[in-house]
Amino acid sequence: MTNHFDACSLFVGTSGYSYGEWIDSGFYPQGTNSSNMLDIYTKFFHTTELNYTWYQMPKAAAVERMCAKVPKNFKFAAKLTRTMTHEIKKGYWQKEVMSYRQGIEPLIQSKKLLCILIQLPPWFKRSIKFRHYLAALLDELSGLPIAVEFRHDSWVNDKVFYEFEKRKITLVSVDAPDLPGLFPQLDVVTNQDLFYIRFHGRNAKGWGSGNMQKQFDYDYTDLEITKWDSVIKETIIPKARAGGIFFNNHVRGQAPKNALTLIDFLFEKQREYA
Amino acid sequence: MSRSIIHLNIADFAAAVEINQQPSFRGYPLIIVPIGAPRAVVYDMSEEAYKQGIRKGMPLARVRRLNKKIKILPPSFNRYELVMKDLLKESFTFSPLIESGKSDGHIFMDVTGSSRLFGPSVDIAFRLKNAFKKTFNLDPVWSVATNKLIAKVATRVVKPIGEYIVAPGDEKAFLAPLPLHLIPGLIKSDLTRLREFNLFSISQARALTMEQLEIPCHNRASLIHDYIRGVDTAPVTASCEDFSSIYADHEFSEDTNSAALLKQALYFMVEKICKNLRDRKLTGAAAKIIISYSDGMQKSSKLKITPSTYNDMIMFKKCSLLLDKAWTRRVRIRHMRLVCEKLSAPQFQADLFAYNTKKNRQADLVAAMDRIRAKFGRVSIKTGLAMMVSESRQVITE
Repeated sequence: MTNHFDACSLFVGTSGYSYGEWIDSGFYPQGTNSSNMLDIYTKFFHTTELNYTWYQMPKAAAVERMCAKVPKNFKFAAKLTRTMTHEIKKGYWQKEVMSYRQGIEPLIQSKKLLCILIQLPPWFKRSIKFRHYLAALLDELSGLPIAVEFRHDSWVNDKVFYEFEKRKITLVSVDAPDLPGLFPQLDVVTNQDLFYIRFHGRNAKGWGSGNMQKQFDYDYTDLEITKWDSVIKETIIPKARAGGIFFNNHVRGQAPKNALTLIDFLFEKQREYA
Repeated sequence: MSRSIIHLNIADFAAAVEINQQPSFRGYPLIIVPIGAPRAVVYDMSEEAYKQGIRKGMPLARVRRLNKKIKILPPSFNRYELVMKDLLKESFTFSPLIESGKSDGHIFMDVTGSSRLFGPSVDIAFRLKNAFKKTFNLDPVWSVATNKLIAKVATRVVKPIGEYIVAPGDEKAFLAPLPLHLIPGLIKSDLTRLREFNLFSISQARALTMEQLEIPCHNRASLIHDYIRGVDTAPVTASCEDFSSIYADHEFSEDTNSAALLKQALYFMVEKICKNLRDRKLTGAAAKIIISYSDGMQKSSKLKITPSTYNDMIMFKKCSLLLDKAWTRRVRIRHMRLVCEKLSAPQFQADLFAYNTKKNRQADLVAAMDRIRAKFGRVSIKTGLAMMVSESRQVITE
């Protein structure tokens, strides 16, 4: 759903949309075919994260066909492929960036790209080697809207935030379990053009299990969402012109449920302020 | 809900297994050929050999003209099967619906029902690929699609490395620009006929109506009509559904052509198979022996066992004849497989007045040995024939 808070456009959605469990949970009607899920999804949300681009280099033809299936104002946040985040090969990744740029070209042409999401692994700590790599990667991706999600707390550093501000790179705020070493929950906005929040759920037990179904199995309470609603409204929105908010707790259909709850809260606030 | 089918394909599987066995071959053109065959053809080749124009089924003489110094290895079919079994074992972690060839490096998995437990199908495929790489040093190409046909085409598109995710509903558009020869199920004669009509790509063939397609393809037209539209309703047939045979393997530590050693190995395999049959209260009515020679050639022979039996001595007598029939070359033998087929419940009428027959005495002896082994372990009692055989290389599978 897109909401306009004065000058800030909000895009609230989920990380991916094609999950069989969402039929069981009731978000998709019984008997929904996978090929119809995006169509139904767009009736509730105006944005989604493309997860498959992490596993596979996006292919322009397929991306173009996907763009044709969504409404005009729909936006995609495309994850950067793992060969540039988790499986980096020296001297090879630059070619991957080129391929990636070509793959997502239809998103840019059709103005459906919210941003590129660079999700970095937990072992990607703030070392000289990785700092240099990140800087080089951002250079290669220059000209594209970029959001960076860290999974290690060594990146909590004013120098990092300053550099992001300078380069107009969005630092992703995360809601995740409060575990040692994990990047903490922050409300820092480094890019006035876009803020980005990802809700991973707070399943501390399942986080390190290596199984997505355990890691992201969490249902946010209304109270937890209300707290975020206040932070978004009072702290984050005044600092940015647009924002993407994504729920990644996709197991058992919690993500769309929580996202719709947040939208409801945001609407109420809008009405209150109006 | 569409199906989620994963296809994992280890490119040049036999060559990859051999290279893992002998890493010094990595990076060199290598072919797997049964050297002893009079008109030997390539069974498999490495990527480097493929790049030099060498293909499966190419005569060895032609390969040698292309590359005189190419490395040549005889096939070890049993090794490929064992590796395949290990890969399947790893795959069963995620789904019971798995279909594969015996030793071709292809695995189809239906994970439609597994996502609730293990996550999205793309993540399952990715995790399996990583597991294959880490555990077996084999790097498969993988794809995820809504049916086997699309999944297989997708891996063919990205082979030898990479992955392809075909989104549900995107099948027709995915196939459209591809050449017809990428469609599995189109045989050589289909492709020749279609080429004669100047049809090279799937989109060209798709422009024809069923009636028009019948002109080049005759009675295969309806099948091809579906294939080029990505329609494939064939289920992933679980390999564990096949309980119709049992087999035992013996790999000799050194290639041999000693009759005594072969008979010993055969007896040991018979003993294992019969014990398995007795435990499952089944009898076998047919046996097949497959001999693999050191030069990669294979020879097999088969016979009926009437009446069907689970008695070691009776089966060994039959299988000895089978071995004599299959063993026709002087080349040393590397591996033997005995397969017991046509399994059924025992159906025999006991004799009223002939208790002390040879058959009954043998049955009593086998039963007594079973009891001793159950109490004191399998190696506590052996027949003379089985005494000298190394047991470590014995495998029994059903």
